[in-house]
Amino acid sequence: MLPAAGEPAAGDSWGMLACLCAVLWHLPAVPAHNRTGDPGPGPSIQKTYDLTRYLEHQLRSLAGTYLNYLGPPFNEPDFNPPRLGAETLPRATVNLEVWRSLNDRLRLTQNYEAYSHLLCYLRGLNRQAATAELRRSLAHFCTSLQGLLGSIAGVMAALGYPLPQPLPGTEPTWTPGPAHSDFLQKMDDFWLLKELQTWLWRSAKDFNRLKKKMQPPAAAVTLHLEAHGF
Amino acid sequence: MAAPVPWACCAVLAAAAAVVYAQRHSPQETPHVQYERLGSDVTLPCGTANWDAAVTWRVNGTDLAPDLLNGSQLVLRGLELGHSGLYACFHRDSWHLRHQVLLNVGLPPREPVLSCRSNTYPKGFYCSWHLPTPTYIPNTFNVTVLHGSKIMVCEKDPALKNRCHIRYMHLFSTVKYKVSISVSNALGHNATAITFDEFTIVKPDPPENVVARPVPSNPRRLEVTWQTPSTWPDPESFPLKFFLRYRPLILDQWQHVELSDGTAHTITDAYAGKEYIIQVAAKDNEIGTWSDWSVAAHATPWTEEPRHLTTEAQAPETTASTTSSLAPPPTTKICDPGELGSGGGPSAPFFISVLVTLALAAAAGSLLI
Repeated sequence: MLPAAGEPAAGDSWGMLACLCAVLWHLPAVPAHNRTGDPGPGPSIQKTYDLTRYLEHQLRSLAGTYLNYLGPPFNEPDFNPPRLGAETLPRATVNLEVWRSLNDRLRLTQNYEAYSHLLCYLRGLNRQAATAELRRSLAHFCTSLQGLLGSIAGVMAALGYPLPQPLPGTEPTWTPGPAHSDFLQKMDDFWLLKELQTWLWRSAKDFNRLKKKMQPPAAAVTLHLEAHGF
Repeated sequence: MAAPVPWACCAVLAAAAAVVYAQRHSPQETPHVQYERLGSDVTLPCGTANWDAAVTWRVNGTDLAPDLLNGSQLVLRGLELGHSGLYACFHRDSWHLRHQVLLNVGLPPREPVLSCRSNTYPKGFYCSWHLPTPTYIPNTFNVTVLHGSKIMVCEKDPALKNRCHIRYMHLFSTVKYKVSISVSNALGHNATAITFDEFTIVKPDPPENVVARPVPSNPRRLEVTWQTPSTWPDPESFPLKFFLRYRPLILDQWQHVELSDGTAHTITDAYAGKEYIIQVAAKDNEIGTWSDWSVAAHATPWTEEPRHLTTEAQAPETTASTTSSLAPPPTTKICDPGELGSGGGPSAPFFISVLVTLALAAAAGSLLI
């Protein structure tokens, strides 16, 4: 009943979402930095790292509010459901050795692709949020997340890596599913927020690693000498 | 003819005696082990003896009063820990041992206390457990670790009995870990479980080798250095931030400094001449909780060595020697009561003595020329 009645409206949002996602994917490359006095990618990596921390902090309050809106059991601290559904969500989890050995380009690409997907889904979430306050918070978060994407794109451009272009047919589209019950929809929302939080933690570690690699070796040596009291 | 018959007779008699002997000393060569609950009552029968058999009971070799007996059975009421021991009942007249019971008085286990922690992130984590109150009898523990639906192996710690270790296979997991423990002994069993996310249990060990040194010619500074804990496997990719606290021994209030990187810090607001206590704690930059405080370092800021009033009367050699000996000792008290005449603040007389010494030196110098 309800999905059928809402069909035309959903169709509209599908279209809008597909459009939005398409826009995101074809984000134009950040214009090249002024070459004179180019500080290198270091400052923009630091900025990206700082953005992940800011976003993680923002997400904590947003997720708390949203899970309360979903109601129990989603807002219970011990809630530990099996990971079913939400197949298309980008997963932060990775084998330890694989993560360690990622090259810079792959590391950045994975981050960029993940947040592109996640932003898309978040915008879908925003469409369905009931209260105006929630919509406002979600919209604000989406804007910040867009900023993070831009920052990652900037780092990639500074390092000379091309932005990932989606293969035709793999563009993330919002798929509410034909028989998506209210509970399953809430489960999807739960996992989206969980995955977002985990990605932000992972990104902090990713950018830490990149920061250390970009650091000039002399500085590292001096630090060691100081530490040994010489 | 006559010889084999007595031999056979002896053999049979010997065998019969052996059987009778074996029967008399009941098959209870090893005592029966029995566990009973603290505070309860227990009745110990004397093996297979009749209720009205005449027996004597002993515990750990000491006779027990006959008023504890109910026929041939020993009755113990309100068991206490002191009741644990080896109980034996003997045939009263022949003193043949009929039955032995090794009684252990204890309690069924209460709910165990279980906690897990990762001080070696991202390598893995460990879980440790204990019982809130003792049971006084042997317990066995069984730990299971579930990551979602996947069972993980918890390897026993080689040194500690109540700890086991789990290795992370995957990082940045959204699925929680569930660790369950069950404990059982002869009197009962209990269990508990905890669930947590990968990030919430991260807590490094405290920083190591915290050293505080005075800074020469700086009476209000102390230089503190430390090392990242050796158990933290990858400080490059998983950097730690640090929290330093310090106070002079004579005060209770701590000063705090949070440091986002580096393993050194200079305190610049130390009270001159006061001994300080300094501690450092560590935390992963983004996740988990602060470590415990490190072992404390003690230091006193540099102080200028005081001039001694008694030596200034002597000639320039003394002046030269005192000026060269102005190198300060690292941590010493200002005043050596044996050398200074009066107690009191050394600052004023010291200043005056410097002036006098300089004047004398100038005078001596001009005389020499």
